[in-house]
Amino acid sequence: MTEALLDIEDLKVTFTGRGKSEVHAVDGVSYRVYAGQTLAIVGESGSGKTVSCRAVLGLLPAGAVVTGSARFQGTQLIGLTDDQLREHRGADIAMVFQDPARSLNPTMRVGAQIAEAVRAHRQASRKEAKEQAVDLLRLVHMPLPERRCTEYPHQLSGGMRQRVMIAIALACRPKLLIADEATTALDVTTQAQIMDLLLELQAELGMALMLISHDLGLAGAYADEVVVMYAGRIVEQAPAARLFGQVRMPYTQALVEAIPRLERPAHAPLPVIGGQPPDGARPVGCSFAPRCRRAADDCRAAAPPLAEHQPGHRWACWHPVNGGAA
Amino acid sequence: MAVAEELRPGAHTPLTRRVARSPGARLAGRRLLAAIPVLWGVTLLTYVVMNLLPGDAAQELLGANATPAEVHQLEIQLHLNEPFWVRYGQWLGGLFHGDLGTSLASGQNVTAILGQRLPVTGELLVYAFVASIALAVGLAVLAARRPNGLADRVSMVVSMIGLSVAPYVLALILIYIFAVRLQLFPAIGYTSLTENPGANLRSLTLPAAAIAFPLFSVYTRLLRADIVEQMQREDYIVTARAKGVRPWRVLLRHALPNSLFGLITLVGLNLGTLVGAVAIIEPIFSLPGVGAILIQSINNHDVPVVEGIVVVFAVVVVLANLLADLLYAVLDPRIRYERSAA
Amino acid sequence: MSAPLPELLAPVQPQGTVQARPRGRGQALNLRIWLPAGFLIVLAAACFAWPLVYPVPKPTGGSILNSGLPPLSPGHIFGTDPVGNDIFSRILHGGQVSFEVGLGVTAIGLLIGGLLGMAAGYWGGILDAIIMRVLDVLIAFPALVLAVAIAEGLGPSEVHVIWALSFFSVPIFGRLARSATLALREQTFMLAARLSGTRGWRVIGRHIIPNVAPQLMTFSLLGIGVTMILEGALSFLGLGIPLPEPSWGSMIAQGQQTISASPDLVLIPSAFLFAAVVSLNVLGDALRERWGVR
Repeated sequence: MTEALLDIEDLKVTFTGRGKSEVHAVDGVSYRVYAGQTLAIVGESGSGKTVSCRAVLGLLPAGAVVTGSARFQGTQLIGLTDDQLREHRGADIAMVFQDPARSLNPTMRVGAQIAEAVRAHRQASRKEAKEQAVDLLRLVHMPLPERRCTEYPHQLSGGMRQRVMIAIALACRPKLLIADEATTALDVTTQAQIMDLLLELQAELGMALMLISHDLGLAGAYADEVVVMYAGRIVEQAPAARLFGQVRMPYTQALVEAIPRLERPAHAPLPVIGGQPPDGARPVGCSFAPRCRRAADDCRAAAPPLAEHQPGHRWACWHPVNGGAA
Repeated sequence: MAVAEELRPGAHTPLTRRVARSPGARLAGRRLLAAIPVLWGVTLLTYVVMNLLPGDAAQELLGANATPAEVHQLEIQLHLNEPFWVRYGQWLGGLFHGDLGTSLASGQNVTAILGQRLPVTGELLVYAFVASIALAVGLAVLAARRPNGLADRVSMVVSMIGLSVAPYVLALILIYIFAVRLQLFPAIGYTSLTENPGANLRSLTLPAAAIAFPLFSVYTRLLRADIVEQMQREDYIVTARAKGVRPWRVLLRHALPNSLFGLITLVGLNLGTLVGAVAIIEPIFSLPGVGAILIQSINNHDVPVVEGIVVVFAVVVVLANLLADLLYAVLDPRIRYERSAA
Repeated sequence: MSAPLPELLAPVQPQGTVQARPRGRGQALNLRIWLPAGFLIVLAAACFAWPLVYPVPKPTGGSILNSGLPPLSPGHIFGTDPVGNDIFSRILHGGQVSFEVGLGVTAIGLLIGGLLGMAAGYWGGILDAIIMRVLDVLIAFPALVLAVAIAEGLGPSEVHVIWALSFFSVPIFGRLARSATLALREQTFMLAARLSGTRGWRVIGRHIIPNVAPQLMTFSLLGIGVTMILEGALSFLGLGIPLPEPSWGSMIAQGQQTISASPDLVLIPSAFLFAAVVSLNVLGDALRERWGVR
């Protein structure tokens, strides 16, 4: 087995609120990303998917305590100083964020923001960096790249802004690109365009791609491997085809059912998962038990461990769908 | 960027025409027009207030021992017996010709008086403003770099002191420490810029410090809070950090320009209050500025002088707020482009 | 999966990110509330009650024979001024003036300005426009000219000073109350109250005042401090409390004459003024944090 590009092992992130109890945003998460692979992490808001990725790069706000291991090409990232982490940010691992309207500096020209990414890790004169910025915009299929460089973010459409974010992320040819809800704020057509662009770039540049989303349909369409998170823990992980074909964890099944489909009768109520996700306190027993159709007493008594019950397919459930049969 | 230049609209019209048509010029024009009624209102109100006060200039000039006949004589001489509207109208008329009237107390031309004294006050205020803003930006940036760190806590304490100390108290304490004890600066007196720049700055340092310290304290607090808010709450800061940008550059190039709006607004608002500060500080240091004669002129019912000073300050305030608006547009391109569309 | 190596499990603070607030924070905040509050209460009590309880030389009418005594002289703990008045007594009586003016001006501003502002913010429309124009004019006017004119025209006295300074506290409180009310109006619970048919003043009393109160209260504390400084300024200019009645401001002005020889004539009243204003500011700031006011 080849060496993983990014190896996360028992990652935990806790936030200490003001005098309140601790919030366990990420509660022991382990997964691996391989070069050239597309991994999707799917979950509701509050599942910890975004926090786990930001923790790797040290981009969490004040009051966050991170434990565990996150190795990038063998280098341990947890515990590095900010200066040391900065060498990896943008250069090895780059991120694209959710809302490009807010994720770009409104008072800085777009070209300058891309050039800044270039000069963060490479020795380049202003002129060279500007030229590279234009090249990067061409790479992401931005029409009239020279003109766009002189414009401000508010002058661009949502899709164009996201292309700029991608251009920024690619500035130093990272080996891993993390797209954190990169298409959530866009309309459906633009979503598809951006996703296609990401895949095309991945193939062209040989990057690994991590897609973070609440949209399981998106994950299924574009990812090789899917990880499902709930309440700070991984509850199921499998290659995409296997996950949809042989769902095990009831939460995943509910998510699959919740994907809007054309075949459904026109006015049938949309299937929802009732209840609220937990608020970060560590419950006894399975975190999903309060909302699970298949919950039994043993579910509430003890949390099921995440285990590879079948080769390549992990889940954490005492009563999986189909009884765990292959 | 030759390609981009050509593509930009209006790239071939001459520069002057572009400036005149620019959104900035139109904005300036609109604002100036809107300011005229405000200025007029202020002058009118001043006139009204001054005239509502019991007594008048003649009374003040001649003192308590004058007979009513003598007072009446002087009143006729000074045109004080004419009705209120006539006098105001005359003054307003004179204003349009650039003539601010004559001082009732000294007989001097008001424009001449202002001409002599305004440069002193002006220099003092510029000194105070530049110092307070520069120091505030410096300290706020240091404090925001590490919230709750050493620089931050020091800035909180220092600014709390500055907010709580009265300017006149500060002035006297500064005089005591730096002029009497340490003999570094003169306690009173003024040397003009043309005479001796070094002595000029020295004579203005203590008064400028007395005015600047409270301002600096307010500005530091506000700016530090705004910068910290940008750094902690805004997404583009996360993007900048994720790019691998150095922390100082994130602070100075990204957070700071987006944090200045509150400060600019506040500076604009503050200008109006400076009349009061100057009126108290200048006499303490015996500076020959407009503040020094303001109180006296009010006491003397010297209406033209008071009006003259009020008009000048009102114009300065209007211009300063206009400048603030223009600064917003410079800093935030969204405002710039929004206005051009309007 | 292999078990992670033990040393990787040790909790590690990511360096370079901002540290979480140290745990003593709550206690520090309490200190910043109770210490200044306590000091202010003691000071006010001293100024008002001490002369009644303890015999203290009168603040005026001292004899020249006693003039210029330094601090810690027998019978005059702070010494005497050039005219022979006991400084300690003048500080106490001057403090009475400062508290009276500070509280008076702020109370007037809070009541009149606050009510006007809330009314303008809640009902909007013409009422709002009229109230705001009037207040704007007052704010735009050169403050000192107005205060000096009023004080000078009416004659120096404590009551006139309160009136003169109220001209500024009313519009400022009015603006604050109005903007706070406007912010509240947008919230859903306000809409609910209006839809349920609750009458105007009731809504104001039940919903607006409790929510706006913290902001107004903390602002009031800061306002008392500012007013004390302004009263000091007027007295400093000779336009406030008429001599020979003591006021911290006029004491400072008097001390200016002899600042080289006897600086404590300036330093003592300055110290008291500073201590009072600092306490008010720290208290106002701390309450703002405690109540989560912006």
